[in-house]
Amino acid sequence: MQEKSPMLRLWELGEQYHGGLIRAVLSASVGVLCGLLPYFAAAQIIIGLIRSEQDTSFYLFWCCLALGGYILRAVLYALALSMSHKATFAILKNIRERILAKLPKLPLGTVMDTPSGQMKQIIVDQVESMERPLAHLLPEMTSNILAPVCILIYLFVLDWRMALLSLVSIPVGMAFMMAVMANYGKQYEGSVKVTQEMNSTIVEYIGGIEVIKAFNQGKNSYAKFSQRVLANASYFYHWMKSCQLPVSISRTLAPTTLITILPAGWIMYLGGSLDIETFITVIILSLGIAGPLLAAMDFVDSLAKVGTIVSEVDSILNSEEQKHGLTPVSFSSEDIRLDHVSFGYHADQEILHDVSLSIPAGTMTAFVGPSGSGKSTIAKLIAGFWDVKKGRITLGGHDLKDIPLRQLYEQTAFVSQDNYLFNESVRDNIRMGKPGADDAQVEAAAKAAGCDSFIRKLENSYDTVVGGGGAHLSGGERQRIAIARAMLKDAPIVILDEATAYIDPENEAVVQKAVAKLVKGKTVIVIAHRLSTITDADRIFVVADGRISASGTHEELLKQSAMYHEMWQAHIGAKDGDAA
Amino acid sequence: MIAVLKKLYRFAGEEQKNINKSIFWGFFYAVFHMFQVGAIYFIVLALTAGDRTYHAAWTALLLLIASIAGRAVINRFTQLQQTHAGYFMVANKRIAIGDKLKRIPMGYFNAKSLGEITGISTTVLDVVESNGPVVLVNILSGFINSIVFLLCVFGFDWRIGLLALAGTVLYLLITSAMEKKSARVTPRRQESEAQLVDAVLEQIQGMSVIKSFNLTGKGDRRVREALEYNRKSNLDIERLFTPYMVAQELSLHLFSVLIMGAGIIFGLNGSMTLSDALMTVVISFLVFSQIQSTGSAVSLLRVVGSSIAHADQIDEIPEMDSTGRPVYPKKHDISFDHVDFSYDKRPILKNVNVTIPDRTTTAIIGPSGSGKTTLCSLIARFWDVDSGSIRIGSTDIREYTLESLMDQISMVFQNVYLFADTIENNIRFGKPDATHEQVVAAAKKACCHDFISALADGYDTVIGEGGATLSGGEKQRISIARAILKNAPVIIFDEATANVDPENEDKLQKAMEELMRNKTILMIAHRLKTVQKADQILVLDEGRIVQKGTHEELKDTPGIYRDFLEVRKEAAGWKL
Repeated sequence: MQEKSPMLRLWELGEQYHGGLIRAVLSASVGVLCGLLPYFAAAQIIIGLIRSEQDTSFYLFWCCLALGGYILRAVLYALALSMSHKATFAILKNIRERILAKLPKLPLGTVMDTPSGQMKQIIVDQVESMERPLAHLLPEMTSNILAPVCILIYLFVLDWRMALLSLVSIPVGMAFMMAVMANYGKQYEGSVKVTQEMNSTIVEYIGGIEVIKAFNQGKNSYAKFSQRVLANASYFYHWMKSCQLPVSISRTLAPTTLITILPAGWIMYLGGSLDIETFITVIILSLGIAGPLLAAMDFVDSLAKVGTIVSEVDSILNSEEQKHGLTPVSFSSEDIRLDHVSFGYHADQEILHDVSLSIPAGTMTAFVGPSGSGKSTIAKLIAGFWDVKKGRITLGGHDLKDIPLRQLYEQTAFVSQDNYLFNESVRDNIRMGKPGADDAQVEAAAKAAGCDSFIRKLENSYDTVVGGGGAHLSGGERQRIAIARAMLKDAPIVILDEATAYIDPENEAVVQKAVAKLVKGKTVIVIAHRLSTITDADRIFVVADGRISASGTHEELLKQSAMYHEMWQAHIGAKDGDAA
Repeated sequence: MIAVLKKLYRFAGEEQKNINKSIFWGFFYAVFHMFQVGAIYFIVLALTAGDRTYHAAWTALLLLIASIAGRAVINRFTQLQQTHAGYFMVANKRIAIGDKLKRIPMGYFNAKSLGEITGISTTVLDVVESNGPVVLVNILSGFINSIVFLLCVFGFDWRIGLLALAGTVLYLLITSAMEKKSARVTPRRQESEAQLVDAVLEQIQGMSVIKSFNLTGKGDRRVREALEYNRKSNLDIERLFTPYMVAQELSLHLFSVLIMGAGIIFGLNGSMTLSDALMTVVISFLVFSQIQSTGSAVSLLRVVGSSIAHADQIDEIPEMDSTGRPVYPKKHDISFDHVDFSYDKRPILKNVNVTIPDRTTTAIIGPSGSGKTTLCSLIARFWDVDSGSIRIGSTDIREYTLESLMDQISMVFQNVYLFADTIENNIRFGKPDATHEQVVAAAKKACCHDFISALADGYDTVIGEGGATLSGGEKQRISIARAILKNAPVIIFDEATANVDPENEDKLQKAMEELMRNKTILMIAHRLKTVQKADQILVLDEGRIVQKGTHEELKDTPGIYRDFLEVRKEAAGWKL
C-alpha cells in the first residue's frame, strides 16, 4: 500500500466536512485582511500628526476604521474557530465510527487478542487528543502565516528595502536553533530509551507491588524505582542544559526585527530616502511579523503528533478483513472437514501444520493436548474467528469462506470461560441468543441452564441490570447465563473451549449440568483439559506441536498413543474425587 | 485561576525554589524586554527633534543588542530552572507514590486500582511534567511583563497608563468569567466522555458475543448514540466559549483604539509633545501583547490543574499504621479471637474464633462469597480487623512490623505475577542472597527445573515481552519455587487451580507438597483429596464458621460439608 502523508489522510477522513473547513479558512483569511486595517489607520494617523493635521473628523474616521478592523477580525476569527470546531468534532466522530465499524469486519480473534484497554485508548483518548491541534490548525495557521505575509506585502509597497531588512532576524535566529538540532536525533533516541526504562520500571513496580511486599523486597525494588525515575528527570534536564543557550539566543533574537529596522531606517532617513511617516509605520508593521511566524513553527510539533495518531488509526482501518461470500448457502449436512490446513496468527509463526480431519454431524469430538499445542486454534478456526490461508475448512461441503459470516455464526455456539455480559438486564442478555424470543422462552432457557433460581434472587429478578462485563455476578453465574443465551440460540454445532474448568469450583456441578443440556443432540466439539470428561467422545484427536498425532476413541488411544496414555496417567494421578 | 496556580505551586514542593528564582529573574527579563520600546522611543524622539547625527542609530542598536543579550542569558537560566522544576517535581511525586504504595494495605490492590495508579504515575504525570512549569512561568511572567510595561507607560504618561490598566483589568475580568463558565461545564464534558468510554468498551469486549450472535446493529446503536452525544456536548461547550473569546479580544482592542485616540487628542491639545503622541500610537500596538499570551496559556493551565487533581487522588488512599517491632516467634500457631470484619460497610466475617496449631494443615471450604479469601488475607494484614484480634505465635499481628510479619508468611494465589526479568532472578526474589545452586534446588523441588533447562537460555531466559511465554501451570510452579526458597513457616494457599492441563496439574501437586512440608498451612481447598488429608476443616457460610472438625468427624453429619463432598464427587466424575 502506498504511504500517504498523514495530513492528506486526515483531509480524506474529513471528506464530508471540507465545506466547513474551507469556510473556516475563508473566514479566517478575511479576518486577517480586516486585521490589517488598524495598521493602515495608524499609518494615516501618524502622517496626520506629523503634518499637523488639525481636523478631528480625519482622526475620528481612522480611529473608527481601526476599531472596525479589530472588531471584524475578532468576530471572523471566532467564527472560523467555531466552524472549524464543528468540522473537527464531526471528523473525530467519523474517525471513531469508522474504527468501530471496522472492528466487526476484522477476524474476531484479532479483536479478542487486542487488550480492550489498548483499543479504547486509541478510539477514545488518542482521537480526543487530536481535537486541539485540528480545530485550531486551519484558523491559526491561516492567520499566523497569512497575517505576516500581508504585512510584508504592505511593507514592500511602502519600502522594499525595509521589507527585506525586517526579514533578517528570523533566519539568523533560526540558525542558532539549527546548530542545536544537529544533535537532536541522538539525544531524542536517548530520551525515548530512558523514558521507556522508567515506564517499564513503574509498571513493574506497581504491577508487582503485591509480590514485592509479600517477599519484603520493598527496599530494593523501591531503590531501583526511584533511581530510574530520577535518571529520567536528570536526562531531560541535562539535555536541555547542553543546548539551552543557543535556543535562548534564537528565541530572543528571531522576533527582534527592530535590530535591523531601527538603525538601518535611521541611516536611510538621514540619507533622505525614507520619510519620517513611512519610518514610523514600518516600525509598527515590523512588530507584527515575527511573533505569528514563530507561533506557526511551534504548531508543527503538535501536527507531528497528530500524524502519529492518524497512522495508528490507519493501521486499524487498513488491516485485513475477513472476506466471505454474500449469498447464503443451503446446508444438506453439518459435516465439518479440515483439508491440509496450516495456520499462524502472525505471518512468520505457523501454529498448525497441515491438519486434515473430519467431524461428522451429530457426533462428539474432543481435542486434547498440552497447552500451546494448537487445539484451541483448531476450534476457533472452525468457529470462523479467523480465516485460513493455506488449506481449507468446509462445513456441509461449503468452504467456510463461501458462507456469509452471519450465516456461519448462526451455525455455531461457542462457549468458553470468557463470558461477556452487556450492561443490560439479565433478560435482555439472555435474549441476545435469539432476538425474537419472548419472556417465556427466555425463562425456559434460564431454567434449563440452571440459572433461574439465582436470577430470581437478584434485586429485580430478570430485570436486574448486570454491570459492564457482568461484574456483580460470580464466574459460574455469568457462565450459566452465557449458556442460557447459547441454548436460546439453538445452533446445530456447539464448541466448548475449556468451558467446564474450575472457573468457580462451588458451582462446577451446576455448570456441568447446564452444559450437558446444551449439547444434547448437537454436533459437539470439546477442548478439554480434564480427560475424564471426554472418555465417551466418539472421536478424540491428540494435538501436539500443531499436528494431529493420534486419533480414535478413548480405549483405542490408550493402546495406540503413548502420549495420550501418559496424559491419562498424569490426569488420573491428579484427578480428584476418588474419596475414600 | 489563582486557585489552580496555587495548586500547581504547592505541587512543586521542593522545586518551588527554582520557580521562585525563575520568577525573580523574570522581572529583569521584562526590563530587558522594555529596552526595545526604549529604542523605538529614542528614534521617535530623534525624528521629531530633527536630530541629524548617527547618535540615535547607535543608541537604538546598543539598546537592542543589550535587550537581546540580556534576555537570552536570563532566558537560558530561567528555562533551565523551569525544566528542572518540571521534571523533578514530577519525579518527586512519582517517588512519593512509590513510597506510599509500601504503606497502602495489600487489600486495596486489585487489577483496577493498580491500573489506575500506573496510569497516574505514567501518562497523567507526563502531562504535568511537560506542561506544568511552562504554564506556571508563562502566566506569571506574562503578568510580570504586563506589570513592568504598565509601570513604564505610567511613567511615560499617567493618563495613557490609566487606559492601559483599565483594558488589562477588563480583560482579566472576562477571562475569569470564562474560567468560571468552564468549571461549570466540566461535569458535562466528563459525563459525555465517560459514556463514550463505557459504550466503546462494551462494543470491544462484547465483540465476540455481538458477532457470534449476529447482533451488529443492536450494540451499534448505543455506541452511535454515545458518539453523537459526545460530539454534540463538545460542540455545545465550545460554543459557550465563543462569545467570551470575542469579548476578550474586543476588550483589549477597544482600549488599543482608545489609547491611540487619547494620544491624538493630547497631541492636538498640546498636553503631549508630537513625539509622545507618535509613541502613544506605537504603544497602542504593543501594550496588550503580553497579557494576551497569558490569557492563551490559561486553557493549558486547566489541563495541568485537572491532571494534578487526578494525581492527588493517590494521597487519599488510606495507609496502614505501621508501628510495630520485629517479631520472630518460635511457634507459628495462628489464632482468630472474636474477629469481625466488614468491607464497604458490608459485614464479611462475623465473630470468627479458631486456632490453627503449629505445623498443621487447615482447609477452608464454603460457598463463593462466604468469606474464605478474606479470612486468609487478614492474616497477612491485607486489611486490619474491625474488632477482635489475630495472633501468630501468640503475638498480635499488628504488633509485628510489616516486614517481620511478611517474613513469616508465603502466599500462593492464582494470579501469579512474574517480573520481566530472568527466571533465575524471579525465583531468587524469594531470597535475594540465594546462590545459583539454591535457586536450582528450589526449582527442582517445584518441578520447574526440567522445563527451564529445556529453554534456550535456561535460567537466564527473560520472561515476558520479547522473552519466553510460559503456560499458566509453569508460571505457577515458578511462583512456588520462589516460595520454597523463601521458606516461610506459614503458608496461605488458594487451591483453585484454574485451567491447568493434566500433566501440569500433576506436577503442580508435587510442587505444592514440597512447599507445604512441615509448615503451618491455611488453604482454601477444592479438591477432595487435600480436604480429606487436612488436620482441620473449617466450613464457612456467610462470614461465620458453621462447621469445624476433621473429615472423619464431618463426613456423615448433615450440613454444608456433606453436600460439598457430594457435589465434588459428582463434578469430578462428570462426563460429557
